[in-house]
Amino acid sequence: MRFNPSINAAVTSDIQQSEQALQAAYQQVSTGLRVNQPSDDPSASAAYSQLQAQVANVDQYTSNAGSALSQAQLSDSVLTSVVSLLNQAVTLGTEGANGTSSASDRQSIATKIQGILTSVVGLANTTFQGISLFGGTVSGTQAFTADATSPTGYTYNGNDSVNQISVGDSLSVQANIPGSTLFTNANASVLGALSGLATALQSGTSAQIGTATSAITTALNYVTSQHAVYGNTINQLNSQETYLSQEKVTLSSQESSLVGIDAATAAEDLSQAEESNSSVLAAAAKVIQNSLLTYLQ
Amino acid sequence: MASLNSSLAIATQSLQAQELEIQTTNNNIANANTAGYTRETVTLSEATPSQDGSVTIGNGVSIDGVSSVRDQLLTLQIQQQTSEQSSAEAQVNALSQIQTLFPSSGASLSSSLSTFFTSLSALSDNASSTADRETVIQSAQALVSQFNTISAGLTGPASGLNSTVSSDVSQINQLTAQAASLNHELGQQGSGGQNSGPIGDQLSQVETQLAALTNITVTHSSQGDSITTGSGTPLVLGNQSYALSTTTNSSGNVQVLDQSGNDITSTISSGDLGGTIKVRDTQIPSLLNSLDTLANQFATAFNAAQASGYDQNGNAGAALFTIPTTVAGSAAAISLATTDPTAIAASSDGSSGGNGNVAKLTALQTSPLASGQSATAQSANLVYQIGSLTQTATTNSTSIQQSLTALNNQQGSISGVSTDEESADLIQYQQAYEAAAKVINTIQSLFETTIDMVVQN
Repeated sequence: MRFNPSINAAVTSDIQQSEQALQAAYQQVSTGLRVNQPSDDPSASAAYSQLQAQVANVDQYTSNAGSALSQAQLSDSVLTSVVSLLNQAVTLGTEGANGTSSASDRQSIATKIQGILTSVVGLANTTFQGISLFGGTVSGTQAFTADATSPTGYTYNGNDSVNQISVGDSLSVQANIPGSTLFTNANASVLGALSGLATALQSGTSAQIGTATSAITTALNYVTSQHAVYGNTINQLNSQETYLSQEKVTLSSQESSLVGIDAATAAEDLSQAEESNSSVLAAAAKVIQNSLLTYLQ
Repeated sequence: MASLNSSLAIATQSLQAQELEIQTTNNNIANANTAGYTRETVTLSEATPSQDGSVTIGNGVSIDGVSSVRDQLLTLQIQQQTSEQSSAEAQVNALSQIQTLFPSSGASLSSSLSTFFTSLSALSDNASSTADRETVIQSAQALVSQFNTISAGLTGPASGLNSTVSSDVSQINQLTAQAASLNHELGQQGSGGQNSGPIGDQLSQVETQLAALTNITVTHSSQGDSITTGSGTPLVLGNQSYALSTTTNSSGNVQVLDQSGNDITSTISSGDLGGTIKVRDTQIPSLLNSLDTLANQFATAFNAAQASGYDQNGNAGAALFTIPTTVAGSAAAISLATTDPTAIAASSDGSSGGNGNVAKLTALQTSPLASGQSATAQSANLVYQIGSLTQTATTNSTSIQQSLTALNNQQGSISGVSTDEESADLIQYQQAYEAAAKVINTIQSLFETTIDMVVQN
């Protein structure tokens, strides 16, 4: 059997192949990625682009949850303050309803109740990053503004709507309770009870003051019960934040198993490619030198 | 009848035979590195013996001729594989460029899409934030320009590919003219068939170059080689060549016409021309169609979701994207209908801070569009499409290259010049020549002996 006397073409193609392998191994080690362009692994690349979108979503949900949590915590502390103010009002009302208190005593108590009313309205107008916490879904205006024509002295500018903040692919939490539910509810109006008590203290009988005080107790109980809504939201958000951080870990481990390399294997591949490249080159240098003419002298 | 004269004649023939051997060897060595050269050998045979009564006497050597050592079947296989290889190569070159439009990291269609949806998701947190709304508009702008850029990146290579088609066709015409004139020379030489020497070498070179450009069929005959295209249109018949021509069709693509003006573009399946046409007419349009479909369905669905809500001013949500009604060209034409941040229809009830419609807008990321696939899945699918096309072409190119190397090696083992072999042969012929010269020398001294005999008497 005759052999191909011209070995150069084969030698060149061997060297090229070995250098290509070396380059691929080097790229994997230097980028830490097995897939550097779609053709390296089309299905992994496609899956990777979807995973990246999921990761971006998880990041956004985490940011939403963080912001929703701050909002809920602020609302929660506002309601805590309102509850404590209402407790003060109940104490003051009970004191005013006492038959021993004089008209001037009642006047000064009425002033205090007016002060509490102003404080509660101030709290009800709390904003968070420009959003009125208790204005429903209306933005850009204060939830309550002073209005002499209103029996409570204040008008609600918001609406009855509730915003849901999405913090997961299929989870959203209630972000707000409208001021109309919390403060001017027909059955247990905080503002109505407070202004009623102030009026009763100024001009009413002990019995009327007592009735007005018990209306405040009703409003107090109602606000306390609504308080639980925020507690619930905070709990949900805390557990969702934990879930999202776990999800993030899971996704990034999926990412690295999809397109990443095992550092040890890649390093081994690289040194193997280097070794095979230098042996190919060494072999080529030897084989080309031989010729019969070298010996025919 | 044996005589000194006939011995002298045999020795002279022998000298001539060895001279021819030496010359052929010399020619082989001289062409050891000539591309396409096929080594030649001298065929010698015993001359017809003469009969002297019952004795048969050898009559020396006779020269039958010089022939090239080649395997015609192997040559055909090499030409075929060369065709496939050039086609794969052309696809790899074009697709690798297109592939850079879909990077695995950094800004891509997928990442722009994802950023757009996360910016919308941020609105769920604070629908009245102008900054957040501005971010949505900006990411929508980035998404639109991704669509525009990729569409341009897909349509851009077409002009380059068209000029490749034109230049390939003019090269084919040059080569077929060359083949026809080689056929003519072969005819004059009257030595068609397998051992056609240097002209055969050149013809086979020209055919391999043609095969690298397009798929051809070669038939050997006494009039030389007939060459036809994949569709059977003749390119070379005897000493006549038929030129291909090009024309530009309505969509601006260069089409290939045979000598009678028929469009044979779709029958060209391999070679550089075949690979180029495949990328231009099949692969790029399919990618572009996927992109256009995604752009069109996504924009339409998003505009519909916008319409179900209210913008920040309490007006019914207007379209955010401007998109043509037809799918074709959607990715190139998609644009933002407005850059007003208040136009995002986040609210479901018309209240300025409401976010009730945000969920509907973000749902488009994962809910199926008209094609049955979500926007994210469709954009991932595009990545898969281009990746898989490039990978297939690369794998083909590598494996065909290997088989081509093996075939070339085999051809080299049959037709290649080994300087070692030729050197050894040279020693052999040198010795045979010296021996024949010695015979003449001996006969001369025998003649002298005979003449001396006569003179002495």
